[in-house]
Amino acid sequence: MAVVLILRKQEYQLEGTMTVKEALKRLNLSPESHLVVRNGELLNENDVLRDGDVVKIVPSISGGGW
Amino acid sequence: MVNTSHVSMKCHKCDERAVIRMRQHRLALCRTHYVEWFIQQTQRMIEKYHMFTRDEKVLVAVSGGKDSLALWDVLWQLGYHAEGLYIHLGIDEGIRYSAESERLAREFAEERGLVLHIINVAQAHGETVPEIARRTRRGRDKPCAVCGLIKRHDMNQAALDLGFNVLATAHNLDDEVAFLFGNVFHWNLEQMRRQSPVLPESPGFARKVKPFCRFSERETAAYSLVRGIAYIEDECPFAEGSKQLLYKDLLNRLEEVEPGAKLRFYLGFLEARDSGRLILPREEETPLELHPCPRCGQPTTSPGLCAYCRLFESESLGTLGTPALPK
Repeated sequence: MAVVLILRKQEYQLEGTMTVKEALKRLNLSPESHLVVRNGELLNENDVLRDGDVVKIVPSISGGGW
Repeated sequence: MVNTSHVSMKCHKCDERAVIRMRQHRLALCRTHYVEWFIQQTQRMIEKYHMFTRDEKVLVAVSGGKDSLALWDVLWQLGYHAEGLYIHLGIDEGIRYSAESERLAREFAEERGLVLHIINVAQAHGETVPEIARRTRRGRDKPCAVCGLIKRHDMNQAALDLGFNVLATAHNLDDEVAFLFGNVFHWNLEQMRRQSPVLPESPGFARKVKPFCRFSERETAAYSLVRGIAYIEDECPFAEGSKQLLYKDLLNRLEEVEPGAKLRFYLGFLEARDSGRLILPREEETPLELHPCPRCGQPTTSPGLCAYCRLFESESLGTLGTPALPK
């Protein structure tokens, strides 16, 4: 079992218990540019991810636009 | 080594779990208080920068993305008369980007009983934006330049045709700061003179307002997620590798170690320029003469057709107008 993180259809697995902030750091993703959602709930950076959790990483920055 | 002793973060206004922490504001909020704060802050910005009043109709440029749908949602909740404008650019690239964006914009409007105006570039011109970009010198290496030109022209035209004197876009702090950074980096002083939360209306131009200019993109994304707004998550295929994305990433790396850096950079610039401490080249003593483009009628400094109409100049003049809007 591991924490499963899905970013743009790509799946990553991290072992152990960690905060959202630690998980993003391990994936070398900036917490300023990414949000994490578990079961439709937005998580803050101190929320804890545990083995078996499946979370979605939502990139918050985009190019183009208006 | 994994640290397992974690303290849950609470909302600063109640005891609920916080959904977001905004280090630049030293504020953490639960979902209810975040939505409330976000809406109040938007209203504050509208008033602070004198963007529009409750008597004015606002046309919101809607792309189907998180920022523009969030803006429309907030203005709707605040009770403004806000209608949407979606421009179907014809971007497919194997992911039906424009078709999916339009579907989400339509769905959003239908759920709330709001009016959405739609312009389809291919129907108006017989070509999609990527096709126009490939054909023209301006867009050959950078379709975003053609795309931006078409959107700015069509948004302004739609606002004028539909009787709106206010056009709202969802440019956020990251957009503004990336633009400012690029202009400073390249010493593009002319562009810096015009960057502002509000561009006043003038003959042939609707007033342009950016009510989200002080929200980070993370904050607008959080608002859309908390409100359950369905938005296009795919990145525009042409934005990949863009300088704007590179600047945003760089600035967010800076924000990580210096919370509030982006907001201070932006507000510091506006304050320095508007107070006269930062002196940018003034407009020409004799302002550039604007005249109506012989084809579309929008003001232009060019001697003949405006830059937008020049995209189509190989076609016979007069057979194509600007995109027709549904009545």
